[in-house]
Amino acid sequence: MLLALDILSTAAILFLVALGLLAIFGVLKIINFAHGAWLTVGAYCAVLAARLGLNPWAAVPLAFVVGLTLGGLAEILIIRPLYRRPLDAILATWGLGIVVGQLITLVFGRDVQFAPALLPGAWRIGGVEYSAYRLFAIFAALLAGALYALMFETTRLGLLARAVIMNETLARALGIDTARVRLFTFMLGTGLAGVAGVLLSPLTSVDPNMGVAWLIGAFMLAMVADASYVALGLASLAFGAVQVLVSAYVSPVLGGVAVAVLAALALRLRPRGFARG
Amino acid sequence: MAEAHSPLTGLRAPALFALIGAAAVAAAPPFLDAFASNVLTRSMLYAALAVTVDLLWGYTGVLTFAQGAFFGVGAYATALMLTHLGATPALFVAALALAIVLPAALGALVGWISFYHGSTPLFASVISLVFPIVATQLVYSGGAWTGSSSGLVGYDVLPLEGEGFFRLAGLLLVAVLVAAWVFVRSDAGKLLIAVRDNEARCAYLGLDPKRIQIALTAILAAVAGLIGFVFANASSVVAPENVGFVFGTEIVIWVALGGRATLFGPAFAAIGIDYLSAQLSGDLPFLWQLVLGSLFVVTIIVAPEGAAGLARRLWRGGTAAPPRLLSLEAAPRETKAGPLLAVRGLSRGFGALTVLREIDLSVKSGELLSLVGPNGAGKTTLMRCLSDGREPFRGEIAMGGQDIAGRPPNRVAALGVGRKFQVASIFEGLSVADCLRLARASHETPSAWRASAALALPAPCVEVVKLTGLIDQLGAPARLLSHGLKQALELAMVLALEPQLVLLDEPTAGLTKGERTLIGEVLVKLTAGQGCAVVLVEHDFDFVREISSRIVVLHQGRLVMDGTVEDVANSALVREIYSGGGHG
Amino acid sequence: MADEERLSLDAVSSGYGAVAVVRGVRLAVRSGEALAVLGKNGMGKTTLLKTIVGLLPLQSGEIRILGASGAPTPADCVARGVSYAPQDQPLFQDLSIRDNLRLALRSDRLLAQALARVVAHFPFLGERLHQRAGALSGGEQKMLILARALMVQPRLLLVDEISEGLQPSLLERIAAALRLEVSRGLAILMVEQNIDFALGVAHRWAVLERGEISEEGASDAGARTRIAARLRL
Repeated sequence: MLLALDILSTAAILFLVALGLLAIFGVLKIINFAHGAWLTVGAYCAVLAARLGLNPWAAVPLAFVVGLTLGGLAEILIIRPLYRRPLDAILATWGLGIVVGQLITLVFGRDVQFAPALLPGAWRIGGVEYSAYRLFAIFAALLAGALYALMFETTRLGLLARAVIMNETLARALGIDTARVRLFTFMLGTGLAGVAGVLLSPLTSVDPNMGVAWLIGAFMLAMVADASYVALGLASLAFGAVQVLVSAYVSPVLGGVAVAVLAALALRLRPRGFARG
Repeated sequence: MAEAHSPLTGLRAPALFALIGAAAVAAAPPFLDAFASNVLTRSMLYAALAVTVDLLWGYTGVLTFAQGAFFGVGAYATALMLTHLGATPALFVAALALAIVLPAALGALVGWISFYHGSTPLFASVISLVFPIVATQLVYSGGAWTGSSSGLVGYDVLPLEGEGFFRLAGLLLVAVLVAAWVFVRSDAGKLLIAVRDNEARCAYLGLDPKRIQIALTAILAAVAGLIGFVFANASSVVAPENVGFVFGTEIVIWVALGGRATLFGPAFAAIGIDYLSAQLSGDLPFLWQLVLGSLFVVTIIVAPEGAAGLARRLWRGGTAAPPRLLSLEAAPRETKAGPLLAVRGLSRGFGALTVLREIDLSVKSGELLSLVGPNGAGKTTLMRCLSDGREPFRGEIAMGGQDIAGRPPNRVAALGVGRKFQVASIFEGLSVADCLRLARASHETPSAWRASAALALPAPCVEVVKLTGLIDQLGAPARLLSHGLKQALELAMVLALEPQLVLLDEPTAGLTKGERTLIGEVLVKLTAGQGCAVVLVEHDFDFVREISSRIVVLHQGRLVMDGTVEDVANSALVREIYSGGGHG
Repeated sequence: MADEERLSLDAVSSGYGAVAVVRGVRLAVRSGEALAVLGKNGMGKTTLLKTIVGLLPLQSGEIRILGASGAPTPADCVARGVSYAPQDQPLFQDLSIRDNLRLALRSDRLLAQALARVVAHFPFLGERLHQRAGALSGGEQKMLILARALMVQPRLLLVDEISEGLQPSLLERIAAALRLEVSRGLAILMVEQNIDFALGVAHRWAVLERGEISEEGASDAGARTRIAARLRL
């Protein structure tokens, strides 16, 4: 039971972290290497909220807005000029990540910060005591997935995003402003990353480089899932299970790389990811 | 035209540099304090690494983050042997061997995973990121044996002093630079640029770009391992940071700032940045990183060719003299009894849509066959199936008696098929002569250190080069050619393959009347004299009528007519099809 | 809608890079009128349409669309009420019929009315709104393309070889829809190879040979013979 909850909560966290990256990868077809930095920004929003004496939950909307705004600036200044050079765009986002990390260090210092627990304590479920916050994470992932799905499948922006994902040239020929769709999607992705950062903050230590460790796993998942959030959910579950089981029975260190290695193998076998079943 | 010069004259500059560089490195130590000497030793080794990344990324277009990890593997292999087994001369040699062989093997593995038919550059970059991560974790999980997070320290090293290591590192850097320089200007070195600019064209010329990428990865991994061996000795400490992907990304940053595909730019950038970082690490570490990161982002957006690239653009050095053109004797061709191309029951569908239906076609050498039909009839799909055996078609396609099913384009080309595309597919980053020379690469392996002064091409190819005026542009960069000349160049490249079957996709698209007539003449001559067959897809019916020996009509995926020019051109069926009377 | 000139081309040349595929073309279409441009493959018909819509740059000459001049962009055209039904890659195969139609509009405000209007032309679309567009047959997809182009109630419609590969019954349905819209004031420029279909919809015709207009006329009794002779079939 404990193992099952570990798997579910790990999967939930992976899903939350990767969701923002998935949106950007699907529509813009690039990997936002600054994703780790956005996670860190979100986590530091939690730290800031604590310092300002606000309710720790206020960090969630704060991180979303901050992520959204900074993401918009980044898309206009950095991503858009590199539209025809996707590999260079990826490199530029890595540089951006470095810059953001250094700025955070300059403002907050290098030391590890501790963010307040959003939901302290443990709950009793299925006969075991389990971290309340990790249980909440499962719920949060489901909620985020549902909201994302709703937005994607029914709203007009979601429809435009789906069109651009499938065939950007055709979308443009139909008069759709694909530049604006890319901008909004990027902003949504970075906003989600900020929120994920806040949600991560009670679980890991917060320092300027915390996001990097999550970056690789996140984008490997996004690549395996292609543009499908359903596939992302399933992949998170599968790879989360592998990570937990390897950590428990083989070695915690190797568990950390399990996601990356498994995803690499999966992509090698099925280059388009697993979105189309 | 300039007089021919021996291939050795091109080696003068690298040789001169080797001498001066070695001398400078040998003479420098007395002028440097211990701190500077130590830092520069390390910086020079990093510079050599940067050169390898430039070869992979700048020249071949493979964005790799793994070179740092191969370096680290070499360093760790060395340190592990010296720590656990000792430091006898024999063991030093063994460590050196291991430091080269192990990364090479890993490089081959990484290459094999990254480069396969249909792989994307993004996937290759991602794998190159995963490898250092896995390597780092393996080091961490090695516990006391690998020194875990603190690394290996205090083992016996080569009996050289600081000065000695400085000279060793410097000589290694000079050697790597010279070797890279010579390779890059050699005939084989142009292959790198060809792979970077147009992988598909390489495949259709009978070359295997994936194998080239894998080989390059493995060889340069070995070089990185060698650099790691020297590093392990010079610094006498090896830590996980030397294997990690952060280090790998730093090298990429040096190459980007220094200048992609310039060799010297990345080397100087590595030395400069590493040295400055060491100097400033006490004072303003975060500001320095911030500046560097911002500079990196700005460079990528605004000046992607980097510092050296900008410098190269401003200082326009003299262009090399164009090579001498030689005509080759045609290789004696054994005439086979059966048809050159035999297609039986060929069908191809895309999901619910059937594009080709039960096509039966046979082509003998000496025929000039035109494939006509309305848009959407399946002509380009047919051409694709004929040149790429990996297309999922049903039925049989045999070239010279050999079934092509499952064969990738380069192996179909090896059977004697040359394909020319509708949009001229050449190597934009090379000169006209280099494009043509590379087209011969599947017949004559290019030299890895010589830059040929002569260009030997088969007679029909030479004829096209002369007829179309390309002969006056041999030294010119291919990307500056006019549309018509690019088409001519591509045709010449295909003919350089000495193909038995030439597949042409709308060869007259966008050509002037004069150019059209020229191409027509060339094609007729080809089939008359040289024993090849030509199959071309064309919309210009007048052109088709003038030069074809046979016309085949495709309509809605079916072969509806196959006959002489008179039969087909005057048939009621063709009239109907072209006026839209036929229904589906 | 008043009788006005919706599209005019004057000495228009365009092509790919330095190559001029279309040379010195001059034509005009008024409201409530359909003009057919006929020609064999490779003669520049699609290039002409792409230039009008802004997918290819204008090399020389002038294009006036709905009174405004200058080189339009695809987004411009949609905003101004020009619909373009291209030949290649026309639909989002994995989106539903409804979503494909919905994408033609700039907002969902008038979605219901627009849907009703196009479904009146092609009732089968109304019955299968939530089906994947890719599940339709070739002919049905062509009708969906046309329906999509009509969603915005355009004032000028550009059609690229919509008849290609279709059987006579479908052709008649499309021709009827086009004729109906023309009678309501729509101006149409249609590029075609099917002479009978073109003459069934258009009032006037022009033949494009090697990028230039070699002959033009009205859709009268002798038109078919003249066109067929021009296309040298």
